[in-house]
Amino acid sequence: MPIELLVQALLNGFALALVYVLVALGLTLIFSILGIINFAHGEFYMLGGYATYFGVAVFGLHYVPTLLLAIGAVGLAGVVAERLIFRHLRGKTLNAFIVSLGLLWVLQSGAQLTFGVLDKPVPSAFSGIIRAGRVIISVERFVVVLAAVGLIAVLYGFLQWSRVGRAMRAVAQDPDGAALQGVNIEFTSMLGFAVGCALAGAAGGLLAPVFAVSPPMGALPVVKAFIIIIVGGMGSLPGAVLGGLLLGTVEGIGSLFFSSAAVNVLGFLMVIAVLLVRPRGLFGAA
Amino acid sequence: MMKGQRCHGWVLMLAAVLALGTAAPAAAAEKTLEIGVLGPLSGGAASYGVELLRGAEMRSDEINKAGGLKVGGDVYKIKLIAYDHKASAADAATAANKLVFQDKVKYIIGNAVGATCNAVQTVTEPQKVMFAFVCWGTNNLGPDKPHSFRSMLSQWEAAEPFYRWIKEKRPTIKKVAVISPNDTSGLDTNTAVVKAVKGLALDLVSEETYERGTKDFYPILTKILAKKPDLLDVAAAPPAEAGLILKQAHELGFRGAKGWTAGVNPVTLVGIAGVEAAEGVWSPVNINVRSDFVDPKVRKFGDEYEKRYKEVPGVIAVANYGAFDVFTKAMQEAGSVETDKVLAALTSRPYDTVWGRLVIGGKETYRIDRQFLYPMVISEIRGGKIVDIEQVLPAALKALKK
Repeated sequence: MPIELLVQALLNGFALALVYVLVALGLTLIFSILGIINFAHGEFYMLGGYATYFGVAVFGLHYVPTLLLAIGAVGLAGVVAERLIFRHLRGKTLNAFIVSLGLLWVLQSGAQLTFGVLDKPVPSAFSGIIRAGRVIISVERFVVVLAAVGLIAVLYGFLQWSRVGRAMRAVAQDPDGAALQGVNIEFTSMLGFAVGCALAGAAGGLLAPVFAVSPPMGALPVVKAFIIIIVGGMGSLPGAVLGGLLLGTVEGIGSLFFSSAAVNVLGFLMVIAVLLVRPRGLFGAA
Repeated sequence: MMKGQRCHGWVLMLAAVLALGTAAPAAAAEKTLEIGVLGPLSGGAASYGVELLRGAEMRSDEINKAGGLKVGGDVYKIKLIAYDHKASAADAATAANKLVFQDKVKYIIGNAVGATCNAVQTVTEPQKVMFAFVCWGTNNLGPDKPHSFRSMLSQWEAAEPFYRWIKEKRPTIKKVAVISPNDTSGLDTNTAVVKAVKGLALDLVSEETYERGTKDFYPILTKILAKKPDLLDVAAAPPAEAGLILKQAHELGFRGAKGWTAGVNPVTLVGIAGVEAAEGVWSPVNINVRSDFVDPKVRKFGDEYEKRYKEVPGVIAVANYGAFDVFTKAMQEAGSVETDKVLAALTSRPYDTVWGRLVIGGKETYRIDRQFLYPMVISEIRGGKIVDIEQVLPAALKALKK
């Protein structure tokens, strides 16, 4: 097999996996802080896509400010969802699971009724391809990769060094201890949920010009995100990045040898293998 | 006396009013004929379902506005009952059960995506429910499914003449790659394309399938483009997915010829792929409602459709409008809405429809005449617009015309 084909396959896998890492990071952040698994997380990805569609395709705004607005708007939608729904379900995993499933259907059906069922294209702000020998990536995807890496770095810095970020980590580790140290649990939870949703919105906004937008567009990224965080370890940022890169490698290389149906199964086989050998995931806390 | 006459007059008037009161509803006692429409109204193939429903709405509204459908001594108002099956066979079976056993419909006019048709037929055939669809599975038609009709040309009518045309007009094209969804429609279309390609001594370098709903085609395209095809046929891919495949193939540097054997609704394809990546796509089953090659009735339908829905109709909308027209005309011919009588009337003679004179044939391929046959037009996307190039007759229709 030519080496260029192998490199191209890896590049294909990594490019998308990095965006799914953003979705996964949002999901794992929300789980760490509120103790809930938000099954409607993919719908916040979808909202990011539609916000970008309206900004660029309908109102004719430039893509970059539109993307920033979309991230902000979805973060705000996260604040609303947390205040109205998830604040009351903190730590109640089963209740939150059922409610988030309901929210998934409400948001998806609402999008169908409001935006229509057909795929809507989002004009791309970047054209052309980057070629290295026989390995090719579109400028559009290259920008998506850079933006995803940038956002992951910003999130890492925010959680590591900002006062609010440290408060989030404290709440994730021990809410009672954090409260005793004067951390405002409710505000921190709300902010954590908003940041988690904004990350999903960013991923949706980044991929909107690449794939077009449609109401069910959040289904696949959220499945990939679950694979990533189970493999990487729930609540671990480096774990999510590693999980994403592993998924990208497995799917990218797998696509050279297997049908697309079989490639979709590979991710789940990876999950089974990790759960059997290391149930808490590669970087998950015991 | 006068008083008695006045009283008598009042009695007569009252009697007349009562008589009118009871007779009037009897004269206007319209019956309602409920007709089912199925299709993917959401998801990647939603444009199919939307067009099916709109085609049915256009014809049923025309009938209702004209006072209803006169069948024998009865007048029927048409009522549509539509369900979304999301291109899923399981959801299609559920929807068909609802239509047949809950809503009690005897006609389902409209469905798309092959696997869903198989599921629907497990309900419609035993119940003798008449079923018209645009699904592309070979096994959707056959002697064991006498109540089922395909209202649009399928890959088996289109692939061979399409590739014969390609070979004649573009002799430099030797290597062909084909990609379709991994389901009945897709696999069947790939089979028809492969048969046509090999039958015409062209070189099939890649035959791929993907799961419906796929957005990232880079992995599959990397494999396909490594074989250096001269022509990439996005055979049975629905418009949004075909658009993504062509966009991503263009990004990966593919500049060869592009075909879309099952191509419908190129407007959506151009929107998703972009003008540059969609340039030069040939399609044999799509229809340009403004073309000089199509029947004037199709052009009129296109104008009215665009006025109503602010979109240009694709072939599926025309096909389902035509199916609705043929079925309702057969009911009038039979003088009954009983399906046995309508079935006999429907298969007894050609009907004038939106397509012009419509022949129901296909016995050579399906062992029963249940395929709507009409001339096909090969079109090309140029600068984001659909340009018709040539009218080609399906082999079966050519044989019938001789």
